[in-house]
Amino acid sequence: MDHFPGNWGRLRNDDYDAYGTFPIPHRPSNAPKDTFSEGVQRTQQPIVTGTSVLAIKFKDGILMAADNLASYGSLARFKDVQRLRPVGDYTVIGAGGDMSDFQYIQSLLDDLVVEEFTSQDGHNLGPKEIHEYLSQVMYGRRTKINPLWNSILVGGLKDGQRFLAYVDLLGTTYSADTLATGYGAYIAQPLLRRAVEGRADTLTEEEAAKILEDCMRVLFYRDARSLNKYQIATITASGVSISDSKALETSWEFAEGIRGYGAQTQ
Amino acid sequence: MNPMNTASHPQQRQFNPYTENGGTILAIAGLDFSVIAGDTRQSEGYNIQTRYAPKVFRLTDRAVLAVNGFAADGNMFVKKVKQRLEWYRHAHAKDMPLHAIARLIQTMLYARRFFPYYVYNILGGIEDDGSGAVYSFDPVGSYERETCRAAGAAQSLVQPFLDNQIYFKNQQPALGTSHPAHLPLPQVLRLVIDSFTGATERHIEVGDGLEMFVVLAKGHDLAGLEGIAGLQEMSTKSDGERIFVIRRELKKD
Amino acid sequence: MEYNGGSVIAMVGKGCVAIGSDLRLGNQALTVATNFEKVFPVTDRIYIGMSGLATDVATLREQFRFRVNMYTIKEEREIEPESFAHLVSSTLYERRFGPYFIEPVMAGLWKTQAGEYKPYIAAADLIGCLNFAKDFVVAGTASEKLFGVAEGLWEPDLEPEDLFETISQTLLNGVDRDAYSGWGAVIHVILPDKVITRTLKGRMD
Repeated sequence: MDHFPGNWGRLRNDDYDAYGTFPIPHRPSNAPKDTFSEGVQRTQQPIVTGTSVLAIKFKDGILMAADNLASYGSLARFKDVQRLRPVGDYTVIGAGGDMSDFQYIQSLLDDLVVEEFTSQDGHNLGPKEIHEYLSQVMYGRRTKINPLWNSILVGGLKDGQRFLAYVDLLGTTYSADTLATGYGAYIAQPLLRRAVEGRADTLTEEEAAKILEDCMRVLFYRDARSLNKYQIATITASGVSISDSKALETSWEFAEGIRGYGAQTQ
Repeated sequence: MNPMNTASHPQQRQFNPYTENGGTILAIAGLDFSVIAGDTRQSEGYNIQTRYAPKVFRLTDRAVLAVNGFAADGNMFVKKVKQRLEWYRHAHAKDMPLHAIARLIQTMLYARRFFPYYVYNILGGIEDDGSGAVYSFDPVGSYERETCRAAGAAQSLVQPFLDNQIYFKNQQPALGTSHPAHLPLPQVLRLVIDSFTGATERHIEVGDGLEMFVVLAKGHDLAGLEGIAGLQEMSTKSDGERIFVIRRELKKD
Repeated sequence: MEYNGGSVIAMVGKGCVAIGSDLRLGNQALTVATNFEKVFPVTDRIYIGMSGLATDVATLREQFRFRVNMYTIKEEREIEPESFAHLVSSTLYERRFGPYFIEPVMAGLWKTQAGEYKPYIAAADLIGCLNFAKDFVVAGTASEKLFGVAEGLWEPDLEPEDLFETISQTLLNGVDRDAYSGWGAVIHVILPDKVITRTLKGRMD
């Protein structure tokens, strides 16, 4: 397994892909042979995985979306998983990649929030601080060659300042008006950029929600590891809210006329 | 044995702790100023991750560091250099001199000789004697003081152009004259802009935005900087060396 | 391409074109000759430069000479640059699955109906994918460097002498940063009534 999100969650031998579903390049392992390596296990591969997370800035804050699926390879294993989580009073994080690593990250953040609360020093954790903390944890783990196999979006609003940034298993970070992880980076990001770039300060919440919904629908059509059940997180000055799961309206009429899509008579 | 069945000899998959995030950096030293520039695109493969991720950082009022390569390593390295400079300030009540920062960077890079920061560094600024200086490093700390240096994705496009325009390589001065050892600031800025527009045109990993840091020696006049669009002062005091940043757009395709 | 090394470049000027190459012939890192020109005349107003495997450069030079002669006999006229570019392209594509290891660069002047001459340049990859550029084309081991310098130095509508200076500076400074190219250069500036050929000294290291 490599760090390309597109290759995540594909539980199969590199050399043997019975259904030829995914082209995996063959790479030789040049790692030094270690007699005792079987006794140590650390470089893992993601097992139960979530796919894309999308997020955009809009006039009054941040909107983030992710579906409710956690896959086990190509099996749709858990279909009611929450991949968007609030952290503190101003922040939401959304994760793709390994869901057990994500749960571990949540426990780290829960501890952090409690610790910060107990100090009662008049400072509250904002999205900036949480993203910085996460980056350091992720980069630290990659440096130990024992990564937390996720790509995470951090969105929030504190003191009137919107914040939206990314961090992944390598500790790579960046921020932009539109962000997407996993297949979303290939499929949804171009759509998001067309809809949002240069308009992040004027888009209303309704318009922003419509953009995200349309992108989630395209992802459901094209990403085989996605689900038509998703949630949207809204972060504005009035706080954080994560919606109930919603079903995507999809239409498959177009498939009728396409060979290989609909039911075939010959 | 079924050739498709490889379960009998499972192969080890290895986590790769590095990636390459594209972009290019460049620095040119003048007689009593220094220009350090970088584009602002961050990419991985064919994906543009963001159109604005700074690669050039102000360290002190007379030192600027540009980092290029693996962005996560780059950001961590800058953070650690800044931390060491702050400790130096607390210990000595002054900013670390440029040549000392250069040596510090060498030792910090070489400390990680066997798990390197995958980063090319270019340090620019003003030396104690008031001269403009550029130091360039490889990922494990070999370094050299130079007049100009390009690094990163478009190094091979930009460096020969600089050889020609800064060092006057393959050019002969008119009879009885000689080539200048240092160029004036406006001409250096023009060369930097030309270098980056050229690199943007021919290299997919370069583009989106350009940040040019200008470090002026103590008592230096603005030398034509006033009135330049997108100019912003970064220095903390106006009686010492001064740092400015000029931001420009580059093509986004 | 790195077996023998070498680079070529062509540029458009005002009513003229220029084409040039370095002079190095290597056996990998070892330089074995410093007078190996890679640009050859095709007609009075068309030149072709070839970088890559030297043995294929020699073979294709003869191949092109033969095919251009056949064209001249059959058509009873000289070949135009655009037709020649397609001749080069199809010759290379014939060997699609066992290619000649050369990247050709072509420069010439073509005659309009009104009788004036207009510049034409083109390049191709080793299997003949043509690239018609309006400004400049490059090929060989120093191609990235040549792109960078040319992008900085070239401007539209250069007069012959200015074009010569531009292509010379581009080539010399480009190959000086390439270990596989250099050791001097040769430049041809093609004008309607003559060709100016100059051999340049360069760094010998």
